Amino acid sequence: MDPRLFVYSGIGLIVGIVLFIKGFLWLKQKRLIENIPTSKIRSLAMGLVEIHGDVVPFKELLTGPFSKKECVYYYYTIEEYRRSGKNSKWITIKHGEQSTPFFLKDNTGSVLINPTGAKIDAPLTTQYESGLMRDPPAAIRNFLTQQNLNFESFFGINKKMRFTEYSIPPATELYILGTAGDNPHMEETTALKGVEDVMIQHGNNDKTYFISTKNEHQLLSSLRWKTIGGIGGGFILSIGSLIVMLIYFGLF
Amino acid sequence: MVVGIIIVILVILGLIILGLVVYVIGLYNSLVSLKNNIKKAWSNIDVLLTQRSDELTKLVSTVKGYMKHESKTFTEIAKARSALLSAKTMGEKASADNMITGALKTLFAVAENYPTLKANENFNQLQTRITDIENELADRREFYNDSVNTYNIKIQTFPTLFFARMLNYGPEELFSATAEEKKDVKIEF
Repeated sequence: MDPRLFVYSGIGLIVGIVLFIKGFLWLKQKRLIENIPTSKIRSLAMGLVEIHGDVVPFKELLTGPFSKKECVYYYYTIEEYRRSGKNSKWITIKHGEQSTPFFLKDNTGSVLINPTGAKIDAPLTTQYESGLMRDPPAAIRNFLTQQNLNFESFFGINKKMRFTEYSIPPATELYILGTAGDNPHMEETTALKGVEDVMIQHGNNDKTYFISTKNEHQLLSSLRWKTIGGIGGGFILSIGSLIVMLIYFGLF
Repeated sequence: MVVGIIIVILVILGLIILGLVVYVIGLYNSLVSLKNNIKKAWSNIDVLLTQRSDELTKLVSTVKGYMKHESKTFTEIAKARSALLSAKTMGEKASADNMITGALKTLFAVAENYPTLKANENFNQLQTRITDIENELADRREFYNDSVNTYNIKIQTFPTLFFARMLNYGPEELFSATAEEKKDVKIEF
């Protein structure tokens, strides 16, 4: 029998078990979101809180590396299309992210958000593909130069590359599940009217810190499907892979 | 062949049992955290009730000199404040809170008749501070009620209701305004 069958079923078994475990972790996250009611910003209490509101800049804003638009957070990937024999796939050659503190404002007040350490779910804002007869825009070319990367191959022909940027611009509506704690920028922020004296951050006790452009309903729906897919899919994949493995060893 | 089938059945059973155990532990933890959320939400209300009570003392001492003929209003405030201080249970605190809110509404309404008091900076600051606390209290009451509502639904629905019965978890009371509080304040001149 083809020995690759053993390798594939082994991988399937491991992936299945990991998916099965991940499914329960997604279920835990779903229950956490369901159990915590949304707080109004003016009456935030210390500890794990769930808030909704719009992004308002605090100090200077960031500039998206490809879109060149102002934002409070961005994540980018630079991928290259590579061929190896019959196979070809996109390989990430560089990725990075940057964030800056910002305010979140609802109809009752504003609170400072330090996004460091948060799991951020930002929307896709820019995607560009370069290739033969198609140079990347100037903004991307400048960024590549800064990063010591080249969009051309050794012979001066454009490589097939993909540049993707996910970012959160000002005025974006966000859902945040994080810890309300001490605000190190208190003097600067409380001087502003309607700004709370706490800051949302990654907690020491509550490790959950999640920022998303999806609303609570969309998040719960996505987690529900992930849970079903993770537990159900993981279970089926594990058992299927195990049966294939047993067939390989002649035990089934 | 038989060995293979036995292995597959054992793994299926193992995964189902493991899944059930993790699921049940998750349900139990979720129920306990819901119960704790209610306690925390209540503590957050309690902190504000104490703050408002402290501000109220300052407010009364500020306005007393101006509103010499409003003894009935002051008596109401003093009664509500002492009811809050002596309250032990959540129900008693909720009732005292309603009394204070009502008395404050009356006090601020009556204060409109005293222009010199309205011009007093200290009074204005205290009024703003108390109004801010009142707004925060309203939000936290809403938050508390949301926490209670989530918990009450959970303990009455399948499969959590079995755990709730095992743990002896009963439904919690909502923090609702009394019919008296919902009425408009009558101002007697």
